Amino acid sequence: MQSFETLYERLRPECERLIAQYEHPRSALLPIVHLFQQHEGYASREAMRATAEMLELTPAVVESTVSFYSLFFRKPVGRYVLQVCRGLSCTINGAEEIMAYFREKLGIGHLQTTADGLFSYEEVECLAACDRPTCMQVNLEFFYDLTPAAIDEMIEAMRGGAFSVAPIAQTRPPESTWAIKQDDQVATGRKSPGATDVARPNNAGGLGDASGVIMLDRFVNKEIAFSERSNERLVRDSRAVYDVLEDGEQHAGH
Amino acid sequence: MPVTKVLTAGIGEVDLRDFKVYRDRGGYKQWERAVRELQPAQVLELADRSGLRGRGGAGFPTGKKWSFLPNDSKPRYLVCNCDEAEPGTFKDHMLLEQAPHLVLEGILLGAYGIASHHAFIYIRGEFKRGFEIFSKALDEARAAGLLGKNIFGTGYDLEVTVHRGAGAYICGEETGLLNSLEGKRGEPRLKPPFPAIAGLYGMPTVVNNVETLAYLVPILEKGAEWFAAVGTERSKGYKIISISGHVRKPGNYEVALGTTVRELIEIAGGLREGRTLMAVQPGGGSSACIFEEHLDWPYDYESMAKAGSMLGSGAFVVFDDTTDFVKCAFNLVRFFAHESCGQCTPCREGGHWLETVLHRFVEGRGLRSDLEMIRRVSSTITGLNLCALGDSIEPFLKSVINRFPEQFEARIDARSLHQNGSTAMAASAQ
Repeated sequence: MQSFETLYERLRPECERLIAQYEHPRSALLPIVHLFQQHEGYASREAMRATAEMLELTPAVVESTVSFYSLFFRKPVGRYVLQVCRGLSCTINGAEEIMAYFREKLGIGHLQTTADGLFSYEEVECLAACDRPTCMQVNLEFFYDLTPAAIDEMIEAMRGGAFSVAPIAQTRPPESTWAIKQDDQVATGRKSPGATDVARPNNAGGLGDASGVIMLDRFVNKEIAFSERSNERLVRDSRAVYDVLEDGEQHAGH
Repeated sequence: MPVTKVLTAGIGEVDLRDFKVYRDRGGYKQWERAVRELQPAQVLELADRSGLRGRGGAGFPTGKKWSFLPNDSKPRYLVCNCDEAEPGTFKDHMLLEQAPHLVLEGILLGAYGIASHHAFIYIRGEFKRGFEIFSKALDEARAAGLLGKNIFGTGYDLEVTVHRGAGAYICGEETGLLNSLEGKRGEPRLKPPFPAIAGLYGMPTVVNNVETLAYLVPILEKGAEWFAAVGTERSKGYKIISISGHVRKPGNYEVALGTTVRELIEIAGGLREGRTLMAVQPGGGSSACIFEEHLDWPYDYESMAKAGSMLGSGAFVVFDDTTDFVKCAFNLVRFFAHESCGQCTPCREGGHWLETVLHRFVEGRGLRSDLEMIRRVSSTITGLNLCALGDSIEPFLKSVINRFPEQFEARIDARSLHQNGSTAMAASAQ
């Protein structure tokens, strides 16, 4: 396997060409990361650092930018990234069955990679091919009108190494997911991290309010006071939880 | 049938990706004529007189948008928005892959119309194939001397740069797009200043949709009057409608604005056998539904607004009586929650909470108090954000809850029906 330095040397002229396309070098950030990802299979730390060096940015700025975009993988992925459309038009035309079939067939779920490192699976937003549901992309190449039979054939071809789309470069073995830890929000669709040391981040309702209903009602219906909540339930949940909530009430001025 | 092929002419019949085929059909003739014979102001005047409005979603008059550029010597930019990701829209995807030279000619004309010397096209990250096809078309046009320095010996310079996104719906919002083009996170900017004053790199910039720019080509060829002659009073010309959902022949159909909703459904082959119409979402995921009573309404910007919805990007999704609107509402709310950039609290948190609550309904665990809460939360999001993404969460949700309350009520957990709000919550948490 070649070292990153060798790759960097080799891609440098292409990066310079990309930078020269723009009045401001930073505009080349996305194209450069695309280029590295094409060769490494993902946007590695080394690649982001090299990008930062070329564009005279800090690595943190590059990583922050890269993390905004769902097509940049910050960890290695499988040889075939299967992205199935979960848009509305596909959904009302059978996408749920197709997604269930994929999950069962591959034995993995949303944002996961198979143990053999061959497949990564993701359910993505509308792919702009609503006239031929259900649609998907394999390594960003479109496939339309999916049926279980077509999926069987596709997976078979990929396993046999005879698929029409080239596999992704794999410079490092993938883990079970490419979502990054603080990116659990991406997997669950949540944006703000919330508390960091609770089982479910972004659980604004706090202990004992896993679905956040109470918090939301407090927020929206001011007249439902905190103290009106069922005391029996709080006692039942546990003494510790009760104590925490009692504190909360005092702070809230009830 | 009222389908008129203007931009879609030749698509599916000949290979318009082939430079020679496109040229032989009269391609780039308007570009050559504009640079040789017309002043930029004349191109702007044509665009203005044609009544062409933005085809990306907002429907802003194109000529007017261009005229906002200040009259100074600063560099100015044209950016073509090909970050098509509105649920249900697939017209730009088709134009980019099937007619890249038409898209390019439109960009060239648009750039000339605002006297810009550097134009960009921002292509959605997922359209990797489209990006390759367009890049090839651009290289061919450059090799033929259609862009670059001193075009046709007139002294006019114009460069076009292709930029590919990397997966973010919000980059279709024009200031989010500009940030992304500058190599930043695609977070929308506070407006004003609008891009016309301070856009890309802080310079005057116009952002136009692919379809909008492409219509400049036939407008130059046939004249502003030809375009303005069709359509309705304030919605002129043609539009590509992406029809999908429960119709027999989903696809892109180009029609004159003002074609009725009923005709559009018929153009797409009508409903499936034995099905009845429940609703139509006429303008993409951000728009409210219209119903049976709107079937004979003309499909144009004003009528759709009057019907409480919008024409948007022309994504026309048809729902028949097999539709589970609870699932549909959850699907779209999840989409917006997922795509929220997270800058504005109402959109970031509100979208997430609505998703959580609607997920309960999908699972049949809705609470009696939830319906009222959904109404309040969604109306609390609208109008309080930097961009229109947050405002897009409410319309569909509200329209289907109002129209099909029985579908939502059927998903309320029976245990919550005879309890007051707080104990009902306890029940649901069990």
